[in-house]
Amino acid sequence: MKKLKLTDIARGEDTQLIEINPNELIPLPPPYDRVEALPGFKQLTEEQRGRLVCNLDGVVSYAALPKTKNKEEEKKYVEQFVSGMKKLLSKENNWTFLQPLLLSIDYCAQCQTCCDACPIYLASGRNDLYRPTYRSEIFRRLVNKYVRPVGKLRAKLSGGDIELNWTTITRLYELSYRCNLCRRCAQSCPMGVDNALITRELRKLFSQELGWAPKELHEKGTVLQLEVGSPTGLRPDVAIDNLQFLDEEFTEATGTKVSTPWDKEGADILLIHSAGDIISFPEGPISFSIICNAAGINWTLSSEIPGYDGVNYGVFYDDVQLARVAIRHAQIAKKLGVKKIVMGECGHQHKAFMTVADRVLTGDLDIPRESVMTFLENLVFSGKIKFDPSKNNFPVTLHDPCNVVRNLGIVEPQRRILRYLCPQFREMTPHGVDNYCCGGGGGLSVMSDVNFTDWKVHVAGRMKFKQVLEAFADRPGSEVKKYICAPCLNCKLQFRDLLDYYGAREKSGIICGGLAELIVNAMVDVKKPFIQWEEL
Amino acid sequence: MAQMELAGNTYEVDENGFMQETDRWNEDVARAYAALEDVNELTEEHWTAINYLRNYYLGNGICPMIRRLIKESGFKLSKLYELFPNGPAQSACKWAGVPKPTGCV
Repeated sequence: MKKLKLTDIARGEDTQLIEINPNELIPLPPPYDRVEALPGFKQLTEEQRGRLVCNLDGVVSYAALPKTKNKEEEKKYVEQFVSGMKKLLSKENNWTFLQPLLLSIDYCAQCQTCCDACPIYLASGRNDLYRPTYRSEIFRRLVNKYVRPVGKLRAKLSGGDIELNWTTITRLYELSYRCNLCRRCAQSCPMGVDNALITRELRKLFSQELGWAPKELHEKGTVLQLEVGSPTGLRPDVAIDNLQFLDEEFTEATGTKVSTPWDKEGADILLIHSAGDIISFPEGPISFSIICNAAGINWTLSSEIPGYDGVNYGVFYDDVQLARVAIRHAQIAKKLGVKKIVMGECGHQHKAFMTVADRVLTGDLDIPRESVMTFLENLVFSGKIKFDPSKNNFPVTLHDPCNVVRNLGIVEPQRRILRYLCPQFREMTPHGVDNYCCGGGGGLSVMSDVNFTDWKVHVAGRMKFKQVLEAFADRPGSEVKKYICAPCLNCKLQFRDLLDYYGAREKSGIICGGLAELIVNAMVDVKKPFIQWEEL
Repeated sequence: MAQMELAGNTYEVDENGFMQETDRWNEDVARAYAALEDVNELTEEHWTAINYLRNYYLGNGICPMIRRLIKESGFKLSKLYELFPNGPAQSACKWAGVPKPTGCV
């Protein structure tokens, strides 16, 4: 594999910096070990190469990245980038992460310990481009050169001078979307340097200063959510209509009366699902309706824009959008007069709403916010619902969503539920706060422009897929039905892509779903099996 | 923006080939998409699914849930994969001229 120097980022204009060779990636266990038996890695066509910016690794996550050779334009981008770096470093312009960013820029000891913690770097077969420190050190040198006093002179004398040009800028843009923001690197760093934060702040610079952000996160993400109610395009009337349809469907399928309350003023709890669950994994939201009703909870959903979709993609790339979405969520809860908001099975919703948005949810917007994990734990052990764990007698493993587990330290509640309700529960190695990201973290699971999905299933999700197979290695055959419990919508979407790409449902009998479904499946009062192993 | 020629006309599409100007769709566009996936004749059953998807999208601004598509078209998922080689989201929606579903779906 080609060795990369930091200074290579600025050189070669349109030429691609590295090639991804599937034979150099870490091997997967059989039957997934034969690269030639898999569908392959979608390569860009000649027409696309002519039209798109593809100077990084042959993968394009954002087709709208401008292609320019004009010197005037290049100068404009360089000025904007420098101005963005200055803002990231100033108190007036960085209300979210100024201090940890400064510490991460100033305290890296260059020990490279973080590299061995990064699932993307490891999965890639240790490709230099994906070292967590590759991106960070380039950014650090650019900050030191262009923003700090006598930086240009120091850069020249130091020998590792990196030029900020169109090539550097466009490559850094794409490279900022080759990271899951999982923060496993930050956890391993003896100095507390957070490379994921540097990546996220780089994305923020691109979004807030240059107007560059993946269309799935911005235009069809937060913008659509604030306007229509959800990045899925789900309008309030369609959300209500869909859940009514699902209430009826599942009443019929389970023999248990299912009903979902909407807009109930003065309810104790406002539950905010991710709208994608309603559309793509409806068993999830329906399970919550069954559990809450069985436990006698006074709860409601909201149909106000965007109160029925708890996702907040702003946390991945833009502080302004982050704050707008979080404030709307809190205002809706305030208007309903609920005592508490429960955040559904969505990891980044937890991060956005429980931690980052703390700064803007002050005064009467500071409404108690609880994680779905402790909420469900309390209901399962309340004694109000009768369970028969033998109904869940199949192998189950638990995926830890990074934003819930590593980021917030919510490790045990979901495990206590699984140890009680799933006789064949087994852990992955490593797990808990040491887990590997599913590969969809940092917003990547919703991004699918050009050939980006291929990168996600080959590189970003590789360590996780390997871990899953190893956790089920004692029962490999497809005749044994196995369940990955992934209590996060973005993780489930990434697992769906992984299982589809590798054909793991057919070859290994693996499906993926949430936590609430396993609870309902074990309920004595739900007479028919709730989890469906076969596709509809 | 990428472009694609379908049934003799040029259309704006995304990088995965989904039409961006849904009001310019017609039945020949659906046939042209199908031919690219080696389906050379669209049957009554294809049209039932395509028309259902298209009408649902135009009325609701979003593609229907799979469950709903199955219930209201009367086709099981396996049947939908028989009709549309890459499935309801990647083939049927594309042939029906509606944008690719995005945003956590």
